[in-house]
Amino acid sequence: MIKIDHLTKRYSDTLAVDDLDFEVKPGVVTGFLGPNGSGKSTTMRIILGLDHATKGQATVNGTRYAELRDPLREVGALLDAKAVHPGRTARNHLRALAASNQIKKSRVDEVLDFVGISSVANKKVGTYSLGMSQRLGIAGALLGDPGILLFDEPVNGLDPEGIKWIREFFRALANEGRTVFVSSHLMSEMAVSADEIIVIGRGRFITSGSVDDLTKNAEGTVLARASDHGKLAALVVSHHGVVHDASDDGLTIGGLTSDQVGQLAFDAGLTVFELTPQRASLEEVFMDLTAGAVEYGSQKRDPAGG
Amino acid sequence: MASDSTLMASTRAEWIKFRTVRSSVMGVAVTVLLTIGLGVLITTLVRTHWDQLSPLRVATFDPVSSSLRGSLFAQFAVGVIGTLFITSEYTSGSIRTTLTAVPNRIRLIVSKCIVLFITTLILGEFVCFAAFLIGQRIYLGVVPTASIANGTVLRSVILAGLYLTLLALFAFALGLILRQSAAAISVFVSVLLIVPIIGFFFPQNWQNDFMRFEPSSLGVSMESPFAPSNTFGAWSATFVLLAYVVATLAIAFVLFQRRDAGSNQ
Ligand SMILES: Nc1ncnc2c1ncn2[C@@H]1O[C@H](COP(=O)(O)OP(=O)(O)OP(=O)(O)O)[C@@H](O)[C@H]1O
Ligand SMILES: [Mg+2]
Repeated sequence: MIKIDHLTKRYSDTLAVDDLDFEVKPGVVTGFLGPNGSGKSTTMRIILGLDHATKGQATVNGTRYAELRDPLREVGALLDAKAVHPGRTARNHLRALAASNQIKKSRVDEVLDFVGISSVANKKVGTYSLGMSQRLGIAGALLGDPGILLFDEPVNGLDPEGIKWIREFFRALANEGRTVFVSSHLMSEMAVSADEIIVIGRGRFITSGSVDDLTKNAEGTVLARASDHGKLAALVVSHHGVVHDASDDGLTIGGLTSDQVGQLAFDAGLTVFELTPQRASLEEVFMDLTAGAVEYGSQKRDPAGG
Repeated sequence: MASDSTLMASTRAEWIKFRTVRSSVMGVAVTVLLTIGLGVLITTLVRTHWDQLSPLRVATFDPVSSSLRGSLFAQFAVGVIGTLFITSEYTSGSIRTTLTAVPNRIRLIVSKCIVLFITTLILGEFVCFAAFLIGQRIYLGVVPTASIANGTVLRSVILAGLYLTLLALFAFALGLILRQSAAAISVFVSVLLIVPIIGFFFPQNWQNDFMRFEPSSLGVSMESPFAPSNTFGAWSATFVLLAYVVATLAIAFVLFQRRDAGSNQ
């Protein structure tokens, strides 16, 4: 269990994290979603005690990370796959990590095998591709067999097979009852790999819930083709609908259901050629959510500090 | 505060890290080469030119410090060892992985200092004893020699090794403050080379008062059986240098504790 408690982080002139408050529960894969620069990595660094919070705090299993005795046995993290000395071999890198947390040496070969880099374990990490470094990072996170796992943009640099592998792996970890917290700036990625999603924008909490909930609440649109688009558009607007897009091919209507649009057209004596409800894509939902938050965020920004 | 077993664990990890990168191994090799190699070169030159030396030079000749001169070059190599032990963590970003494994920052720095202290002490004593013994062998029969059976001579050789060790720790502290290899090594070299040069531009009475505080002249005091004029005695010099190291480490640690380690700057 990870608990973020009114967490705020300000770097000299940037408010990177703004009063975040949420929990990450065990047994599910929790996605941490936000556009570039929204504060995902910063939040994760504070959870790991690397950066200091300006206000509030983050705890893992009720304790601040810096106070854990052998932290790798409780929390495994992969923030930056390249955060390894390039001149050291993968095996030596993992042996040092294992030694620091009193993890038995045999575990090093186990995790190397598990992520599939045993054959290059005696090569210097500097020669690794991003994907191989990513696998080494995952090996490091698993070393202490921790109950909590944090991954910052883990699919970066992985090939399709690697991406499939890592998704199944997250699911398996969660099914074993572990807490799995994965960040991404891609909604589509989260939709397939996460059960729960926490969305942030500009360092602020926007929404959270299951993937289904988030898309269900999202507004769909209706594509309509009728005999008089001008008249239909006027009717839609007078009934509190919105016309997103109008062309000879049809109208994209928001704020009304296809039933309502059909009824309006019928009452006005228009011939309807096509009436198609369109579900918002996940990516659109995400854009809608974060666009709103960006505006909200900039209004809330205090001029003195910003 | 860290318990003994966790301090032992993080120290073991730092030892693995220290010996598994080329920069430390190279630094050790260069230290050996400079101290012993230059020692052989200098003592051989002294032996071959001995009959041409002026009576004054012969009267003031010191077989101990002359055989240990190579260590004044090796001090740059141990400086690089000490600096890179911490700055390479910042340049590669591995400090983040290191701190995730050992988030207790006191424990981490103590572990690194233990590893650096022990390795450079063994290294420093080994090269200084070797350079001394080989040097006396070369002098034998032509130039007057010294023996470590003499307490003052033994002290000089031991303190010459300790000088290298303290400089490695000093360089480590500079690295922790500056977090950048080139910057830390430049400052280290400046302190050892440029400060004495600047000192020459000051009036003579200032030089007499202040130059003895400058690290490389402390080094000369530490490795000489008899203190040269206007310098500290061997033990006072050792304590002054130790005070520098402790003060720099303390500043470095306070900064390290306060700073964010997550992102590079
Ligand atoms: N060390 C730092 N000093 C100053 N500003 C920083 C620092 N680290 C992050 N920031 C700023 O904080 C904000 C949040 O950055 P962060 O890296 O946490 O975002 P992110 O959500 O991880 O983005 P991305 O998807 O690009 O990885 C950004 O505006 C960034 O510029
Ligand atoms: Mg990020």
